[in-house]
Amino acid sequence: MSKGPNYAAAMQQTASFQNLIESEAELIVRVLNGQRECYYDLVAPYQRMVYVSALSVLRDEAEAEDCAQESLIKALCHLKDFKGKSKFGSWLVRIALNEAKMRRRKLRPALYESLDGPADHNGHEETEYVPQVLQDWREIPSEALERNEIREALENAIKQLPDIYRQVFILRDLQEYDTADTAEILGVSEAVVKTRLVRARLQMRDLLTPVVRNSKLLSREVFKRGKNPWL
Amino acid sequence: MAMTCRELWREVSNYIEGIIAPDLLGEVEAHLAYCRYCSAVVDGVRNVVVLVADERVFELPIGFGERLKKRLENEL
Repeated sequence: MSKGPNYAAAMQQTASFQNLIESEAELIVRVLNGQRECYYDLVAPYQRMVYVSALSVLRDEAEAEDCAQESLIKALCHLKDFKGKSKFGSWLVRIALNEAKMRRRKLRPALYESLDGPADHNGHEETEYVPQVLQDWREIPSEALERNEIREALENAIKQLPDIYRQVFILRDLQEYDTADTAEILGVSEAVVKTRLVRARLQMRDLLTPVVRNSKLLSREVFKRGKNPWL
Repeated sequence: MAMTCRELWREVSNYIEGIIAPDLLGEVEAHLAYCRYCSAVVDGVRNVVVLVADERVFELPIGFGERLKKRLENEL
């Protein structure tokens, strides 16, 4: 049986990932051997990941940038401690999250409990999230992103999520870590990651649907065809 | 007994990611066939996941790389 183009693409992806790992390992050795000028090349592919991780805790762009830079400097100082047990990117993200949490404790000590505790808006992580009854949203997402307003709305909605859900949502859906890596980074079980992810996604849908509708991105034709059950 | 809305919401991630258990898939689809509320929820969640995976969301601030390079140079 022919393995087809999907197989070829998957193999290509695996090969490029393998190349990344090999060049990463090489760069780590170089930096550890004193070629510290190679460090930027080593961390450059993870800049956004580290920045977004910091932003997921701090919710302030300037503070997140400073935190991301500081985290990468700390990572450089502790590079000899990286044993390759986890992915290099996951290691950097963990450092960024810890740094961001430390900063947030200093900046907003009153909010400290909400960082790692089980509380959401209702005070109980176990509280089941009930999605709102909202009009349907059948906009093609890639087209929606052409509009800055949707991008901004998306970023604002993420910022509104309770901490424990926002961190899981960002790691899983924005940074595209798998459940196991997300669990490892956050120090929680995979079951907890899955539960939080469902709740985060449901809340995101509730936060975004009214914005998408109000932005008039939904075609009236869709409504006319009777696809929207809530009109 | 038919799947309830609440049970479906718990499966929404597995369903849109295509990793739902085969025995539950039929139940989810049967439920979605008559429940407009849950259909709207599933469509919305799917859109969120597609939207947020786009790299244009939370782009790095302009000049981030340059500022990082400078700071690293100062540290080296």
